Amino acid sequence: MPLEPVAQLAPALLDSGAGPAASLLGASFREGYVGSIIAVSLYVSLTAVALSTLVSVPAAVAIGLAEFPGKGFVKSVVNTGMGFPSVVVGLVVLFAVSNQGPLGSLELIFTREAMIMSQFVLATPPITAISLAAVSGVDDGVRDAARVLGGTRIDVALVVIKEAKYGIATAVLAGFGRAVSEVGSVLIVGGNITSADGISKTRTLTTAIQLEARQGRYETAMVLGAVLVALVLTVNAIVVRFGDRGVA
Amino acid sequence: MLRATGVSRSYGDERVFRDLTIDVDAGEVVAVIGPSGVGKTTLLRTLALSLEPDEGTVTLDGTDAWAVDESARLALRRRVGMVFQEASLFGGSVARNVEYGLRVRRSWSERIASLFRLSGAADAVHESLEVVGLADKTDQPADSLSGGEAQRVSFARALAYDPDALLLDEPTSDLDPRNTAVIEEAIGEAKARGIGVVVATHDMHQAERVADRVAVLLDDGITEIGPTEEIFDDPADERTRKFISGELVY
Amino acid sequence: MAAVGAGAIVGTAGCSSTNDGGSGDGTGGNGTDGGNSAESVGVAGETLTLTTTTSTYDTGLLDAIHPDFEEMYGVTVDAVAQGTGAALETARNGDSDIVMVHARGLEDEFMRNGYGINRRDLMFNDFVIVGPESDPAGIGGTGSATEALTTIAEAEATFVSRGDNSGTHTKELNLWDAAGTDPGGDWYQETGTGMGEALNIANQQGAYTLSDRGTYISQRSEIDLTILVQGPIEGGPEILANPYGVMAVNPGVHENANYDLAMAYIGWITSPGVQEAIAEYQVNGEQLFFPEAVSEDPDFQQYVPEGWSSDDSDA
Repeated sequence: MPLEPVAQLAPALLDSGAGPAASLLGASFREGYVGSIIAVSLYVSLTAVALSTLVSVPAAVAIGLAEFPGKGFVKSVVNTGMGFPSVVVGLVVLFAVSNQGPLGSLELIFTREAMIMSQFVLATPPITAISLAAVSGVDDGVRDAARVLGGTRIDVALVVIKEAKYGIATAVLAGFGRAVSEVGSVLIVGGNITSADGISKTRTLTTAIQLEARQGRYETAMVLGAVLVALVLTVNAIVVRFGDRGVA
Repeated sequence: MLRATGVSRSYGDERVFRDLTIDVDAGEVVAVIGPSGVGKTTLLRTLALSLEPDEGTVTLDGTDAWAVDESARLALRRRVGMVFQEASLFGGSVARNVEYGLRVRRSWSERIASLFRLSGAADAVHESLEVVGLADKTDQPADSLSGGEAQRVSFARALAYDPDALLLDEPTSDLDPRNTAVIEEAIGEAKARGIGVVVATHDMHQAERVADRVAVLLDDGITEIGPTEEIFDDPADERTRKFISGELVY
Repeated sequence: MAAVGAGAIVGTAGCSSTNDGGSGDGTGGNGTDGGNSAESVGVAGETLTLTTTTSTYDTGLLDAIHPDFEEMYGVTVDAVAQGTGAALETARNGDSDIVMVHARGLEDEFMRNGYGINRRDLMFNDFVIVGPESDPAGIGGTGSATEALTTIAEAEATFVSRGDNSGTHTKELNLWDAAGTDPGGDWYQETGTGMGEALNIANQQGAYTLSDRGTYISQRSEIDLTILVQGPIEGGPEILANPYGVMAVNPGVHENANYDLAMAYIGWITSPGVQEAIAEYQVNGEQLFFPEAVSEDPDFQQYVPEGWSSDDSDA
């Protein structure tokens, strides 16, 4: 999976910051523990958001550019999806991938891939809704021009996407924020598993925080929380920077 | 070359025009004059093969655009260009805007290839920008242009892919005299290249300057259509005379 | 939506498998240790999914002993800490291969319904009743857990309950039941949290609570609660005993359960060597678990639901 190597890069950096911070607070993490949970968080959330973007943005463009009865209803449904409780989505995905469920034979329970599935479901409404708003905000004249100058529907869609790219980037970042900071679904379908020597299999930053909190180790939980916030800030900064440099 | 015959168009219950016939030949400029809201834009969009008329036919070189399938119609539509009152430029550079028409007419493999090397499009782009006097702004961001410059780029954008017909919807209504003059010169250049131009305008002096023929659109039909001088000096229809002299109040 | 994602995921599942192999059907040469003949029925390379309670997992015992098992067989153990009810439910659904919990009543039900087989007593620790040093209800030193709870109820001293149907909560409810008291009112607070958090909450409020000794020991340095009623390990009443059991998921009910590996695990964890390792496991300098699996004398009750005898009408 191409995103895995990318997901391995940031953890080393953050690990070197989180390690000392944690030991300052008396929390002793085994070597590589924090790095491995960061890697899992990034792998799961980045993959889920990437896949969701591939589905959501075209959907948003299709809905935004089309006129059809019930368009307002569809918009409402999408917006409502943004409020799906993550734990409920987790239960639904659990039902699907459980041995008893329709996808049971794929043996996805307690895997990172099941976590990607549930985060895909969680990230899609915000990415779609915000992209839809961005696409709707593109000047009608631009659409007209693209069409009348000889563009096919796809050409027009590409022009609109390009015009709405900052809004779409915001949408993707919102989707990532939602995915990487949720705990309900990944806990249920992933199982918060690490190997005996502390390397994470399905433990993310959020489920690790939950684990520390349930054991009453609040300060450690806070350190991990700070790592998570730093991670989200970093991703946001990268995307914004990328966007600024891309103004042609 | 481009001809609308007996076309009617309504929006819901509201009829815009009825049984209208107008045509333009290669290398000729036809002006459509009439008060605001009478339906000039709708007529132009119908001629641009974007709007299907409720009745009547629209033909390009004799082919009925709405009697053929989607892809044939797309091919016909691509031989026509339109410029609106507002420039509506895309983000990116001026060159990228002007190149759009050429880009979408290429196959996908050609398009991907052109991302990596210079294509022949650069010449056509440069040339079109020269017609509107903006060749020096080729690589500038489109949103750095003034309103007048943007509209000139919009014209170049429609010119770049060498259409058979060019439809201009009040292209200079928002422009100052200098930019207006540039556009009118560009219209002349298009005509010289054999493009059939239809320009909708409420500026009768502009019609007099650029058009070979004038169509007068009042109420829901064309009251009169004929050579420019005739329309302005000796109109056949009383309503035309009143409109031109400003007596008719709409 | 999930289905759309699944289609994409299945594609990625194939290329992101790490060294945990697949938790396959356990037969037919799945092993990755080279050199074995093609006919070998090894478990090497497989993953055992073990569901257990959060308090068991949080003691760190499993992480300490599992590497030995993993190396011995060349496998991976995925320990999923879920809480008693969820651990059993997951096994009931066939999503885990083996369960380790400490709620005898629920374990018995699990066996009776055919989901669990080959149960073994594993180890025990105990519960303690803790509270503030000031001991407002005056229960310190009581030899009876039920008496202590009755006293707390009568004094309406604040009591923190897990309230989450965990093993600890189940034990707590059994105690109230045995004491003949129905807890309720402002002084009785159900938090729905893990043991560590519950202790923190009790600490902040100067309240009493029932805790497993292990969690209490690991948190002792951070809270100001003391043990007011001891468990059987330190001479307290038997009713506060906390025995752990391990059961394999019945392959007759769930074909895909990794029965071979589950039995290997049970065999390993009930062996004298590992039982000793369990006894030697310490947190903050104190022993947490007392092994029960190895004994000269027979203990038939560990294999069947409590009180079951062959004279019973249903098999």
